[in-house]
Amino acid sequence: MSNVRLYMEFFKGFWKENPVFRQLLGMCPTLAVTTSVINGISMGLAMTFVLVSTSIVVSIIRKIVPNQVRIATFTIIIATFVTIADLFLKAKFPPISKELGPYVPLIVVNCIILGRQEAFAKKNPLHKSFLDALGMGFGFTLALVILGAIREFLGSGSILNFQILGGWFEPWVIMILPAGAFITLGFLIALMNVIDQRLRSAV
Amino acid sequence: MNISARMIIVLTVVCLFSGLSLVFVNQCSKPQIEKNAVDTTQKAVYKVLPNVKNIEKVVSGETVIFKGFDKDGEHIGYAFVAEGNGYQGNIKIMVGISPELEKLIGIEILESVETPGLGAKITEDEFKCQFKGVSVSPEIAYVKGKEPEKPNEIETITGATISSKSVVKILNVSIEKVKEILKGKENRGEAKDE
Amino acid sequence: MNIILIFIAATLVNNFVLTYFLGICPFLGVSSKIESAVGMGFAATFVMTLAATFTWLVYHYILLRFNVPYLEYVSFILIIASLVQVVEMFIKKFSPELYRALGIYLPLITTNCAILGLTLFMVLREYNFLESIVFGFGAGVGFTLVLLIMAGIREELEFADVPEVFKGAPITLIIAGLLALAFMGFSGLIGSA
Repeated sequence: MSNVRLYMEFFKGFWKENPVFRQLLGMCPTLAVTTSVINGISMGLAMTFVLVSTSIVVSIIRKIVPNQVRIATFTIIIATFVTIADLFLKAKFPPISKELGPYVPLIVVNCIILGRQEAFAKKNPLHKSFLDALGMGFGFTLALVILGAIREFLGSGSILNFQILGGWFEPWVIMILPAGAFITLGFLIALMNVIDQRLRSAV
Repeated sequence: MNISARMIIVLTVVCLFSGLSLVFVNQCSKPQIEKNAVDTTQKAVYKVLPNVKNIEKVVSGETVIFKGFDKDGEHIGYAFVAEGNGYQGNIKIMVGISPELEKLIGIEILESVETPGLGAKITEDEFKCQFKGVSVSPEIAYVKGKEPEKPNEIETITGATISSKSVVKILNVSIEKVKEILKGKENRGEAKDE
Repeated sequence: MNIILIFIAATLVNNFVLTYFLGICPFLGVSSKIESAVGMGFAATFVMTLAATFTWLVYHYILLRFNVPYLEYVSFILIIASLVQVVEMFIKKFSPELYRALGIYLPLITTNCAILGLTLFMVLREYNFLESIVFGFGAGVGFTLVLLIMAGIREELEFADVPEVFKGAPITLIIAGLLALAFMGFSGLIGSA
């Protein structure tokens, strides 16, 4: 297996097959927790943990699981890792757990995770599944960070809780509200479409 | 091995692994999680009762009231959690009240989901400080758009009237409840103990 | 009184889609035609109400009794998945026309974050049995409402001149944002009650 091919499995999650911007999956947490960059990173890492762990397990047992029960099996595995992640956050990082709130357990129904099992982990060997999961997870985190940065910057004038814009800046409160989340994501996806078009016509 | 048997075995094994690992992780994390909850409450009590050194718990049914003592053993006040509906959702407040239950020592907003930039201002010092020393008899009252004149009045936040009013209402309701509990315990001679 | 407040809150004030971002995937995917919106909405409301009922029972009579609240997520999702399975088989047997009408939407409901979301909220807020059922029903109604509004708008949008890059998800999201803004107007309802 050539190294270039392996790199592709990892990097495709960043742009070409970015779960949020391209595949339009996992929208719920993307909109909900991106009020700040820190929240975005935390959710992204939590989700990556669950995705990678699940993909590893599913890839290992992929030959023994009968087809009819695969969804149930995958779901149990996902829910288990989500519970572990949730308990871990509650114990070690209570303020983050509080910020992310019920969206951590909602990782269970995050379409990205089940989607990757169906599309990849259940039919690919361990090392490829691991890279695929890691790439998708990071791509997801990247999307959250971008959205979070825009919303935090315009909505509170800060990034990573560092106040960047001073008192003269009247924050765009709407950015912190649900409406701002929807609108920003809508424009971002449109922007991706524009960039995609340019890239394709350039090639 | 036929398909049905395999299905059942795989599912059972997966469930077993899931259950066992969760029991294990829960055992490991439970003590820390419980400690975190205690720490948060304690920190809030320290904030609304400055100078407090020791805390005793007074329990009545589901309500927990904290009795605060300073480093000389003087009873400096009570602290308790007040909860109720705000504009957008639940508001949870830690309240510090004087030993005679006449004035508030301070409040701390523990949980709130009010509108950012407007109702969320109830968590800011400018609003919270108004409650330091405010009289609770006959009950806390609010005024809008002008300076408070009476000792039991506070001014609502501009553009966040409902959130401000909710805070006042939540405080009044729970102060009444706490007064009843403590007076009741006093009558039964329990206030000195615990 | 409280029951009515919970219902209004779930439907309008804290609408599941526009305030909590739950149920976005079907919201984006199914809201282009009013018919499909109705089908999805009804199916989802039905499952949500049932889900609220069963998960409440399991949580209070099994999880709490055996002191294993941390099995909440695993058991809830299994209940929801099984519920959808059973409901599908039931409808298929007793009303083939309805089954054909709902088509693919039924299995899709399992991954609808709104269902798991409402069961999680109901536990967090410690609703009693009746409150939970009303909450589940209200969440479904709110979801259906927003889906219908969006479908109506999108059907009109077919005739408008949407720029190429905005077609599909982007314009739907922006409209959702405007809807979210509009729904914020409902906010004062519980506060003043």
